[in-house]
Amino acid sequence: MNIMKYISDTDYSYIMNKYHDASQPFDSFKHLLTNHEAFYDTHTGLSSEQIEQGIRENDETYKDAPRSVRKARAVEYVLQNTRISCDKRDRFPGICTIHRVIDRALISQWRNEVTNTIIPEVFAKRYEYAVSGLVSVVPDYSHSAPRWDRLFRLGFRGIMAEAEAAKKKFTQITPLGFEEEGFYESIHIVYSAIIVFLYRLAENAKDQNPRLEKALLSLAENPPQSFYEQLLFDYLFFIIMEHIACMSCRTLGNFDVQFYELYKQDLAKGVSAEELRTDLAYFLMQFPALGNYWQQPVYLGGTKSDGTSQINELSYEFLRVYDEMGIYNPKIQIKLAKNTPKPFVLKALEMIRSGHNSIVFIMDETMQKSLIRTGATEDEARRGNITGCYESYMPEGIPMAMIYFNLIKPLEYTMSGGYDIVSGKLCGLETSTAFETFDEFYETYRKQLAHSIRKTLKIVDGFAPYLWRINPQPMLSATFETAIANARDALNGGCKNPSCVVLCGYLANIADSMTAIKELCFDKKELSVSEFKKILENNWEGHALLRQRVLNRLPHYGNNEETPDRFAREISSYASEVAEKHNNLYGFPCGAGFHVARMHYSHGKMTFATPDGRLAGDELSKNISASMGRSTKGPTAAILSATKLAASSFQSDACLDLGIHPSSVKGNDGLEAMYALLMTFEARGGHALHINVFDSEILKKAQQEPEKYKDLQIRVCGWNALWNNISKEEQDGFIRQAEALI
Amino acid sequence: MTATIFAIKRFAIHDGDGIRTTVFFKGCPLQCVWCHNPEGLSFQIQEAFYSHKCVGCGECKKEYFTAKDCLGEARILYGKEVTINELLPILLEDKDFYDNSGGGVTLSGGECLMQADFCAELLQKLKGLGIHTAVDTCGFVSKESLEKVVPYTDVFLYDLKAYDEDIHLKCTNRSNNLILENLKYLESIGKNIEIRIPYVPDYNDNQIEKIAHFLAPMKHISKVRILAYHNFAGSKYEALGIKNTLPSPLPTAEELQSAKKLLESITNFTVLS
Repeated sequence: MNIMKYISDTDYSYIMNKYHDASQPFDSFKHLLTNHEAFYDTHTGLSSEQIEQGIRENDETYKDAPRSVRKARAVEYVLQNTRISCDKRDRFPGICTIHRVIDRALISQWRNEVTNTIIPEVFAKRYEYAVSGLVSVVPDYSHSAPRWDRLFRLGFRGIMAEAEAAKKKFTQITPLGFEEEGFYESIHIVYSAIIVFLYRLAENAKDQNPRLEKALLSLAENPPQSFYEQLLFDYLFFIIMEHIACMSCRTLGNFDVQFYELYKQDLAKGVSAEELRTDLAYFLMQFPALGNYWQQPVYLGGTKSDGTSQINELSYEFLRVYDEMGIYNPKIQIKLAKNTPKPFVLKALEMIRSGHNSIVFIMDETMQKSLIRTGATEDEARRGNITGCYESYMPEGIPMAMIYFNLIKPLEYTMSGGYDIVSGKLCGLETSTAFETFDEFYETYRKQLAHSIRKTLKIVDGFAPYLWRINPQPMLSATFETAIANARDALNGGCKNPSCVVLCGYLANIADSMTAIKELCFDKKELSVSEFKKILENNWEGHALLRQRVLNRLPHYGNNEETPDRFAREISSYASEVAEKHNNLYGFPCGAGFHVARMHYSHGKMTFATPDGRLAGDELSKNISASMGRSTKGPTAAILSATKLAASSFQSDACLDLGIHPSSVKGNDGLEAMYALLMTFEARGGHALHINVFDSEILKKAQQEPEKYKDLQIRVCGWNALWNNISKEEQDGFIRQAEALI
Repeated sequence: MTATIFAIKRFAIHDGDGIRTTVFFKGCPLQCVWCHNPEGLSFQIQEAFYSHKCVGCGECKKEYFTAKDCLGEARILYGKEVTINELLPILLEDKDFYDNSGGGVTLSGGECLMQADFCAELLQKLKGLGIHTAVDTCGFVSKESLEKVVPYTDVFLYDLKAYDEDIHLKCTNRSNNLILENLKYLESIGKNIEIRIPYVPDYNDNQIEKIAHFLAPMKHISKVRILAYHNFAGSKYEALGIKNTLPSPLPTAEELQSAKKLLESITNFTVLS
């Protein structure tokens, strides 16, 4: 790690304290509730506590206004009153009240109103499904992307002007209703407030940070005019949208594409490459300073309309600076295609091999095919955004719900006639438990699966109409042409093809479990399903030999074995088909994806001992990877299994996490081998590939001597965590995984 | 026709170019003191017991128990008879990876050319399917054995332990005359050769210069690879119940770098370590 190549000690210390007290232990999950008040000059604004109170009092004035206006006024209030700092030690402003105070002051009431008063039955069901371990389904305010292209082209004033023009056009056709009037007014309020805020920041920067002052004044009136101004714009929009307006700005954009023009322009004007790298370094440094545990996504690459790669000099510069700084936040997604220049890919792979595992490859062709299935045009699919961990949306696409679905629970219902084995409650369809053939058993599982997916989607149908009422989005909506043309909030249909995706988890566990049931209960008829159920209810107690046989003698997904791979393919495709038969609130088919975030731990605790040999309460499998320790034939077999899934037919992602031992990829031969693995994955139609190069011995040492391994990172799911910040339970899991690597 | 193999390794990166699958054949005419595949020395099928993996199930006490019944995989049978028809599907599984990396299949061991007829037929089939082939050999085989596989082998990975015969005897218990002659033969017919020199302190570390002078005039050596000795195989010796001959000293990075520089200064070859 060599942040000091670009950022002095003094500046680094200042930046790392902007949002949190760097001398205190940092909890990346709790940090959202706190901010570093003591850092900011009290003369620059109110305390966060005062602001929270002020938002409530201010809202009294607007009680009868449309909710979008009330939200906009709250954003305005924060921007008017938050403490700020434009100290010369940083090229980007510090903003104090960034812990989503509007959620506490206002949005939480609106959420409670919907949850407890308007549709309590929907949320009661939601809670019931969540505590049973079947599915976690919540409204999604976490995976949206603004139209960065419009923002950079128009600037804040231009966005506001286009909304005004759209309003005029709308009223030529039909008069504005209450909410529609409020919609346009809220945009005007928010963007006016942002412009005033820029002037306030500029005033603070005056004398102490003249370059920042000049850039702020420029952005108050114009779109970005330089690379630095564009970085500043990106940062400000992100932090206001995510940390003040309470809507995750879930990508910083297609960086190398969107920043390239001004980057080139600056070089042509004589700005040195070193200076531009330094600006980039200060920009990137904001994100480790913020410390959001999910890390801030930014993506590189893509394909131009003529079929050539979007990779350019800025792509390389981005990786260079990121590599030299040794940071892992932001996290990088690379759109990979056959046209992606090999030197660029090798650079990324070299970084991964040296420990930069916060880089994931998204296969552009597969992603585009998925987006076209959701209704995107070819051009929209090509320009699709990657947000969050691995999710993709067409421009102006937006999700409605975050759904983490447990594919194992319908298996519990199948084996027990509809009952949850852990709780004993009837959670599924009441079905017979007398199975003559495996086909009968399998068909019953499919019925239970379909029923569980449909009832999950009904929850989303229940709360989807209220998303925009819980948390209206004037700031995001203003960037969407669809929203401003139709006077509708992005969360109220003012978007393209609003999506609803069921992220299904534990594919390896269900595939291996089906394999075990088929073999033991039906092919070899060694025990009945009900006998097997009893064994699992007793957590394999007294049946250690049978468990060892299942673990070590039966085939497992992730090894290019026919039976479990077939189940993985069939079940994933079936889940996707079931979801697609259900149209969401706006008439678009729902869909499926396959990643688990961290749910494999919590769902694992709520899931019975599984027929694949897993013990009750143990973690479940991750994404579309094999179960822990079950991928015994190496990375090629893992890729062969994973690419049997019909990834381009899923609406969302399917990420393979590939663990490789460092000794397997040493030297130039090793790098070329990693490249070949990646390009074979791409050629075979995979969706997303994340490579983790780690050594169990290092992890064990890090567990014993944490003080020596403060910088060691590990990939949790779609984000990295510092080894020392994850629980011992999670550390042990990673060590087991690393020990199984060949 | 069958052959006895003891392992198949997929995603082999250092057994030739690209991503490869390596087949390890049982039995070796040499007895290298540093051998890290002792399970490949004997031509017989052998059972090994890794006590740390034992789960205490007691199955091995039962009549008719065989190693494949061991639930904890503590008892491993090294050696299995296979036919070409059984091997081919496994070797073809990773064809996409071979195609994308310039890789293929490597026959190794033990010494694969002690089962030359089988190797020749297998290699011929692989070539017919467009697969790149490599043979990893110690060279202590008859010229006739080499000749059988030559038409179907794209590259020979040729191990050279020592130049001086007395040193070679000390290291492997065998003379190196036949090995040096076979190498000259392959060079004379223009086969692509990759030389592999295991570097073992106190055994062959003083042979690098002589090996380099021997190799220098050759025109068909594509690269020379120095293989750093490691002693990770100790548990295999114990599990097999055979005497552990692994030397103690490990080469340092400086020693390996010196060896590389020495080879490069005397020859024109690409030297990797």
